[in-house]
Amino acid sequence: MRAFTEKHGAFVARLDASEREVVAALVADVAQLLGAPRFDEAGPAAAPEGPLLRTERIPPPQDPAVRRLLPDASQDDPDVAAEFRRLTEDDLRARKVARLGVMWTLLTTPGDGRRQDLLTVAPQDAPEVAAALTDLRLVLAERLDVRTDHDAEQLYDVLSDEAEGQDVDVRRYLVSLYGALSWLQESLVGLMLEHARRGGASGRSAHEG
Amino acid sequence: MPVQTAPDERVEAAEQAAVADPWVTIVWNDPVNLMSYVTYVFETYFGHPHEKAEKLMRQVHEEGRAVVSSGSLEGMEVDVQAMHGFGLWATLQRSGV
Repeated sequence: MRAFTEKHGAFVARLDASEREVVAALVADVAQLLGAPRFDEAGPAAAPEGPLLRTERIPPPQDPAVRRLLPDASQDDPDVAAEFRRLTEDDLRARKVARLGVMWTLLTTPGDGRRQDLLTVAPQDAPEVAAALTDLRLVLAERLDVRTDHDAEQLYDVLSDEAEGQDVDVRRYLVSLYGALSWLQESLVGLMLEHARRGGASGRSAHEG
Repeated sequence: MPVQTAPDERVEAAEQAAVADPWVTIVWNDPVNLMSYVTYVFETYFGHPHEKAEKLMRQVHEEGRAVVSSGSLEGMEVDVQAMHGFGLWATLQRSGV
């Protein structure tokens, strides 16, 4: 795996076939958590089903990882949180699934010719990819019980300790994946910031509607 | 000694402030989001210059939370939804609470 660099106006990273497969499987898992059919069976265009307009309130997600992706909008007013969820949750789910679909397509479409490991992201698509990487990392962090900054700092200790066993192996695998995605995202966001500061930034108005 | 103003004026001033910006959007610290990404969100979504975006990001990181916008309930719902879209943890509440 190589971090993102800017080449000919695009953001390019390198992931070999097995790395793509691992990340794509996680992308499909997170989309499924959000209510989408499996991308590897139904394709990335599949969207979670929801009514056009909700008239009834919906309860918060039971799975803490999903609740982190679709968080409560108020800490002290259940009424505000419930009303916000009724109005926005279906849209937010659909948007998150759609960009996971973009990422799935990127990962399962090999680069051209001899450079099959190239992962090329156009600057205009980069915010969606960066946000999808955030969602993948949020789910992994929840599964790894990362709740505080201290937990995050201690996270990589498991990679160098002596412990053995299936649980530890699974944890090491997830921690390594989390670390790789963090590093990939850091490189992408660095380029996005440079790009925005050169004049490609969009204001709040561009995100509305 | 504080300067005394007539009670009516004080009430009126408070009401005007409440009418102007009755709600705020708060972004909370979390252990997952990268500092660079949070800065990117504040810079591109709110259109802050990067010094201000970084200062807000540091406030979130060090103090655990920061008020990132204020306005009507409807306006804050748009901002909170956008923050959740980016993967940041945001809430809305009445200002001055």
